[in-house]
This record gives sequence, C-alpha cells and structure tokens, in this order.
Amino acid sequence: MELWILFGSFTLLMLIGTPVAFCLGIASFATVVYMGLPPLVVFQRLNSGMSVFSLLAIPFFIYAGDLMVRGGIASRIVAFAASLVGHVRGGLGQVNIVTATLFGGISGSAVAEAAAVGGLMIPQMKARGYGTDYAVNVTSMSALIALLLPPSHNMIIYSISAGGKISIADLFTAGILPGILLAASLMVTAYFVARKRGYPTEPFPGFLMVAHLLAVALPGLLLIAIIFGGVRSGIFTATESSCIAVIYALLVTIFVYRQLNWSDFVHATMGAVRTTAMVLLIIGTAAAFSWLMAFLKVPTSLVAWMNTLSENPIVILLLLNVIMLLLGTFMDMGPTIIITTPIFLPIAQSYGIDPVHFGVIMILNYGIGLNTPPVGAVQFVACAVGKITVWQAMRSIWPFYGAGIMVLLLVTYVPAISLWLPSVFK
Amino acid sequence: QTVLKSSDTHPDGYPTVEGVKYFGELLKERTQGRYSVDVYHSAQLGEEKDTIEQVRSGVIELNRVSMAPFNGTVKETIVPALPYIFTSEDHMHKVMDGAVGDQIKAAFEPVGLVVLAFYDAGSRSFYNSKKPIKTVADMAGLKFRVIQSDIFVDMTAALGANATPMPYGEVYSSIETGVIDGAENNFPSYDTAKHVEVAKYYSLDEHTILPEVFVMNKAAFDALTPEDQEIFKQAAKDSVAKQRELWAAKTTESRANAEKLGSQINDVEKQGFIDAMKPVYDKHVKDPVLQKLVEDVRAVK
Amino acid sequence: MSTQPPLGVPILSRVNTTALYLASIGLVVMTAIVAWQVFCRYILNDSPSWTEPGAVMLMSWFIFLGAAVGVRENNHMGFDVLLYVMPHWAKKWLRMISDIVILAFGIGMVWYGSKLVGLTWNTTLPALGISGGWDYLPVVGGGILVMLFSLERIVLRVSGAPIDDALDEMVAPEIAVELENVSAVREDAAEQARKG
Ligand code: NA
Ligand code: NA
Repeated sequence: MELWILFGSFTLLMLIGTPVAFCLGIASFATVVYMGLPPLVVFQRLNSGMSVFSLLAIPFFIYAGDLMVRGGIASRIVAFAASLVGHVRGGLGQVNIVTATLFGGISGSAVAEAAAVGGLMIPQMKARGYGTDYAVNVTSMSALIALLLPPSHNMIIYSISAGGKISIADLFTAGILPGILLAASLMVTAYFVARKRGYPTEPFPGFLMVAHLLAVALPGLLLIAIIFGGVRSGIFTATESSCIAVIYALLVTIFVYRQLNWSDFVHATMGAVRTTAMVLLIIGTAAAFSWLMAFLKVPTSLVAWMNTLSENPIVILLLLNVIMLLLGTFMDMGPTIIITTPIFLPIAQSYGIDPVHFGVIMILNYGIGLNTPPVGAVQFVACAVGKITVWQAMRSIWPFYGAGIMVLLLVTYVPAISLWLPSVFK
Repeated sequence: QTVLKSSDTHPDGYPTVEGVKYFGELLKERTQGRYSVDVYHSAQLGEEKDTIEQVRSGVIELNRVSMAPFNGTVKETIVPALPYIFTSEDHMHKVMDGAVGDQIKAAFEPVGLVVLAFYDAGSRSFYNSKKPIKTVADMAGLKFRVIQSDIFVDMTAALGANATPMPYGEVYSSIETGVIDGAENNFPSYDTAKHVEVAKYYSLDEHTILPEVFVMNKAAFDALTPEDQEIFKQAAKDSVAKQRELWAAKTTESRANAEKLGSQINDVEKQGFIDAMKPVYDKHVKDPVLQKLVEDVRAVK
Repeated sequence: MSTQPPLGVPILSRVNTTALYLASIGLVVMTAIVAWQVFCRYILNDSPSWTEPGAVMLMSWFIFLGAAVGVRENNHMGFDVLLYVMPHWAKKWLRMISDIVILAFGIGMVWYGSKLVGLTWNTTLPALGISGGWDYLPVVGGGILVMLFSLERIVLRVSGAPIDDALDEMVAPEIAVELENVSAVREDAAEQARKG
C-alpha cells in the first residue's frame, strides 16, 4: 500500500503537469503521513539531499557555462571549428559537432550547449540551405557529447547517488573515449545524411587562418587543460575544479576577450541561479523520495527479482538499457539518476559490472532521453532555437538516434572503452 | 510483533552492523518474537548527522553511530573523543563499562535518546602517501583529511599538520592525485575504503580510541514495559561482548590484508604526540563537568 | 528571458526581485569561498575548516530562495504534455491542483522546517561554531516565499484574473533560461564579425 501511494500520487501529479520537484516532495509527504512516520523526515531529506559539498559542482558548472556563452568563448570556438572542418561534406553539420565536442570539454551541461552551439549554428545552417530539421538534430544529438566529456556534473550526481564512494576523477576520465566515440559516429552519420541531401561544403580557409582562429579560441579552450590537468596533478579536487572554471571563465571573458560587461555578468549570474535552483530543488525532493524507497526496501527487492530473471550479465545489461532508455524518455536526467542509481547500481554490481563503467552507461542512456519527447530539455531548446516543432525534428532524427544507440551498445558491451583510460592514469 | 529500524553507515557484515543484528536476534528470542530489528546498513537512510535527527524525532527507533557527531549536542561525548584520553583499549573498556560510561549514557537522555551500548571502533591513526611518521616533527606540513570535528581539526594543527576539509568520497582520489597527503582511521576502514592502495604508510600513533554508541529513541524505550526494558538492556549488553570479539577479528584481518597490499606499518614515539595535545585539552576541556570527567577517566586504572 | 508574470501583487514582485538578487549574491560569494579554499590549501598550505560547511550552507540558502522565485516565474520543470491538449477550463483546474500542491509543500517546509530548527537549535555545528538550527532555516525561509507565491496565484485565479492566459504566453520553463543566452551569443558573433 505504501508503495502505491508513493508511486501513484507521484504519477498522477506528474500527469497533470505539477512541477517534478513538487510531485516528488508531495508524494513522499503523503506516504510518510500514511505510514505514521514524523513528516519532518521529508524536509530533512530535502535539505540534506542538497547540502552536499560535491553538489556545488552543479551551480558552478552551470554558472561557468553561462559566463562562457555570454562572454564570447562559445562564439570563438565556433569560428575555429568552422575553419577546421567546414570543407567536409555537409560542412556546417561537421562544424556543429566539432564545436559541441570542444565546448563539451569545458562545459558540463548539454542544455547550455544546445543553446550556445545551436544559437550560433542553426541560423547559419538555415541560411546556407541546410534543412532546419537537420540543423536541429545535429545540434541536439551532439550536445550530448558534453555529458560524457569532463566536466560533467551529471557524473558527479551519479557518484553522490552511489553513496559518494565512486571516484569522480575516474568517472570524468572514463567518459572521454565514449564522448569522442559519440562525436565520431555523429560526424559519420551527418556526413552520409548530408551527402544524400546534397548539402554544400565550405571553402577551406587555409592553414594560416585555422592557426589564427585557434589562437583566438585558445584562451577559452585552455580551460580543458586547466580542469583536467588541475585535477590530475592534485591542485584541486574534481568538485573544486568547477569553481576554478567559473574563475577562469570570468578572467578570460573580462580581461582577454573584454566582452563581459556588468549587465552580462548580472544576467549570467541570475540565469545560473534560476537553472541551479530548479535542478537542485528536484535533487532535494528526489532525496526524500529515494529515502522512502530505501526505507521500504524497494532496491533490495528489485535486485532479488532481477537475479531470478537471468544469470547472464549480457541479458541484464540489455534489460537495464531498455529500462533506462524508457525512463529517460519520460523523465529528466538529474532526478532520474538520483532515483535510479541506488536501484540499478546494486543490480549491475551483483553481476560484476564496474560502477565506473555503469555510470558511463547510465549517463549515455539518460542523455539520449534528453533528446526524446515528451520530456527532453535538449531537444526542446534546439527546436526552440530552430523554430520548428519537436514532431518536425522527429521525422528525420532516426539516423542520429541510430548512431547514439550504436555507441551505447559499444560502450555497454566493451567495458574497455570506459575503463581503459582511467587504468592508464592509475 | 514490532520490527525496529536501525541505521548504520557501515556495509553489511561490518562488526557494528553484525553487533546490532545479534542484538536483534537476542531480542527476538527473549521476547518470543514480539520484537525484532531490521538494520539499514551502508548509510541507506542517510549520513550519521541525519540519522541522529531521525532517531531523535522517532522516524527510526535505533541507530548505531560514532561518538564524534554528538560532540556539539551532548558535551560529555567530548571526553572519550579527546586524543590520548585512554591509554589502551582495555582502559577504554573499563572506563566505558563503569561509572564514567554511566554518566555519559545519562547525558543522552535530555536530547531524547537512551544509550543501549558502547561498541568498539578500535584506535585511529594517521596514514599517508609520503613517508612513515615516527615523531611529531614528521607531521609538519602534511595535509590530512580528518573527520568533521573541531577536536580532530585542533589535534591535527597541534601536531603541526594541516587538517583539510573534504567529503569522504573524495579522499581516495585526492590522496592519489596529491590534493592531500593522507587521512586517519582505524584498520578496518583503511582497508575497506581501499585507501591502502594510495597511502601505504600507516603510522600507529593511535590518537583516539573512540567507541561508538548504539542508541534508542527515548519515547520508544519508555513505551516498553519494565520487563521488556530489562530484556532490551540485557540483550544490548550481551551484544557488546559479541561485537568486541568481531571487532578484534576484523582488525587483525584488515591489518593483515593491508600488509598484503603493501602497507608499511610503523610505531611512533607516542609520548611526543601525547605531550603535544595540551592546547587541545586547554581549548576543549574548560567546562568543570568535563574537567571532572577527564580526572575520573584518568583515575581508572 | 523568463520574466515575472505580467499579473501579480506589486509588493510580491518586489519580494521576488529581492530574493533573486540575494540568491545571486549568494552564488558569487560561494564562488569566492571555494576559490579561497583552493588558494589556502595549495598556496598557503593551511586549509580553513569553515569553507566547506560555509559554502554548503550558502548554497542551501540560494537554492531555496531561487526555488521560490522559480515558483513565481513558473520556472520549474514539469511534464506538461497533457496540459497542451486539455480544453481551457480543464487546464485551469489542473493548474489549480498543482498550485495547491505547491502551497501544501510550502506550508510543510515552514511547519516541519521550524520543527527541525527546534530539534537542532541546541546543537553546535563543527567548524562553523553556530547553532545546528541554521542548517534548516533556509527551508523555513524558502517555504514562506513558496507559500506566498503559490497563494498569490491561487487567489488571482479565484478572483477571476486571467492568470492562466498569462502562463500560456510564457515560454516553456526548461528552456526559458537557456534561450536568453541564445540572443547573447548571436550578438557576440555579430560583434566579432564586424571586427573581422
Ligand atoms: Na562536459
Ligand atoms: Na526524454
């Protein structure tokens, strides 16, 4: 009965459009009242769930992303990427993906990336005769690269949801090859779609120009080296690196590019506050929700049930992938990670799957879900920028979904793609 | 038939978890199944600070926690947390089983808790990735992650090292990358957290021999019949012997395991460490009640 | 940019703006605190113990203030597919239920948040040295604002103000914040193009 109230009221409120954070909160509240427990535990979890030092990475990475977008780092990266791959077939599509990869290396948010890269690339692509659906789909799918490449605050959320005992530095390193793999497979897909549709190429501007634009974009791109090098050489921790990203973005945009004025700064700060509060309130109420699940022993029972289904890890991984893709379709990434990690990770571990490897699998699954209606923030942003409906985008997104699923399967069944790089750094 | 819920931050099979489970078995047996205990291990219900609030407000009935998080709530718990207050584990057992232990137990009642038992958690020592620590001078300039407790922070400073605040989950990678040089803990945690892989020098300075507490919500305890209260107390007392036995075995096992993984364990010139603790005592033992308690502890031979 | 709804009680608009500014200052100060922590440890080789709990408590404040602002600006993410296909009158009632749910949660934040403050008031936080009750004050503070802002919408709707039409006009919440950045990026690029 308790579980019916918990999941029933949650589903019902979700359906009528109540904000997710409050669905989770009230569903937990109702269940606790029904069980006769002191309801203050819901509000304790709400506060403790978000009062975690590692979670500071979320506001910081979001803030850094907003500053980079407003302070001119993003636009310089686009210019550099355009000179680099514009001459490949479907040039601007390739530029879009390379930009997403470079920007993904300094930003942790796929939604911010879709806004930044899409905001610049989609209008240009439209103007050069590319289909808007193509421009939108390339943007939204390549935005997912940011989730895999460090920094990635979703990986931090995963580590925290797993009890804070998985090394964030290892998770960051584990995401690099899958991120590059995703970029490569999207570039190939974009190439073939572009050839079929007869999209143009851009002239190659010459190595001198490439070098010049690289030099211009370099101060921004250096952040990749600073974050990764800083963490690996022990100057700061993975969480602290997010704060360094903010400081660095401020320094570059104010003193090097001289483009961040006071109004930009205020707007970037307020934007970061709005986004962060939205994300972290969900994390807080999701903590209350998952406390109840633990209290009612949901994870333990599910593990026992899964173990009766199959002894084969290949089958279980496939099953988990299907479940996670489905969940990602209907739910948003952060809360889904928090709610499901305590359930799925023990299952995966009981089949001998490495928690770092499983984290990469989970991020990729829910990442694809950011790009599927009805709940897909990345897709919504890309569509809003391109001014088309989600349904228009959906008509031609399938080859890109195919590329994503292929990478997902490779990452799932070839653990080395995730685990080799962290082992090198040990 | 009542199932009491108990929280523990350690994983299943850890001596504290097994101690509470054993308490539950005894309870079930002696109350003819009217009471049993369900242990939520591995911090499923939250970190210690949170579960303390949960047991105080009656969300859960039982909780096994460390003594340090109580320092800001029950001032008497400061005494056993002081560095080098106990001369050995035997000394700690004698003190906590005696009148001083009773006084500390009684101090929990005003915050709504009944202490059922004190469990062993061994002695804590510093370990690091740089060098074996032999004298206090070797501590100079090293960065250690210590538990979030003012006593531990001040103790580390008094030894000339730096206490670096950091979430427990980041300790392993931070030692690995060099953000910090080490941490401090007992052998079982040193081994289970795999810190031995990145910090092989474990120096037996044994700065604290801090026992853990097993508490019950006072309202829940008071609601029991006097006979049941006796059964609870006796079962808890009996579980202590079992827990101490499990703890000793676990320490031996994890020490051997750490050595197998390449840990270099060394003794320290302990008197220097003891002498360096004066500022810590000066700062934290100002209250006359605590001063008296410290004297009482020292009087136990 | 996600702005405040065109309708509303003027004083609450001011409260909303104040909360947003306070939260923004909180984010900036939090950045400074963590940067200071890195500086002290790496450069001065001496870590202050208050930076970590201090930054976390500050985050708690700005999240709850920002979350309350999100209630007023209709910024919180939800699954609003059903709302789009509903007739106008039904949409109004579904939104009403949501607002009541938010109000109820706000009341819970204030009531049980206060109980938590009471429970922990006589404890002392390590490193910060202040009462443990401070941990839960942001829940109470944020709860008061959540209550006020959801109540405002309920009252406006009951009194017949076209609040739901106003909400329909607003951009979908998850993307509103990001879309603001899009125009900023385009201005940047245009400026760079001018410079050559
Ligand atoms: Na990234
Ligand atoms: Na989706």
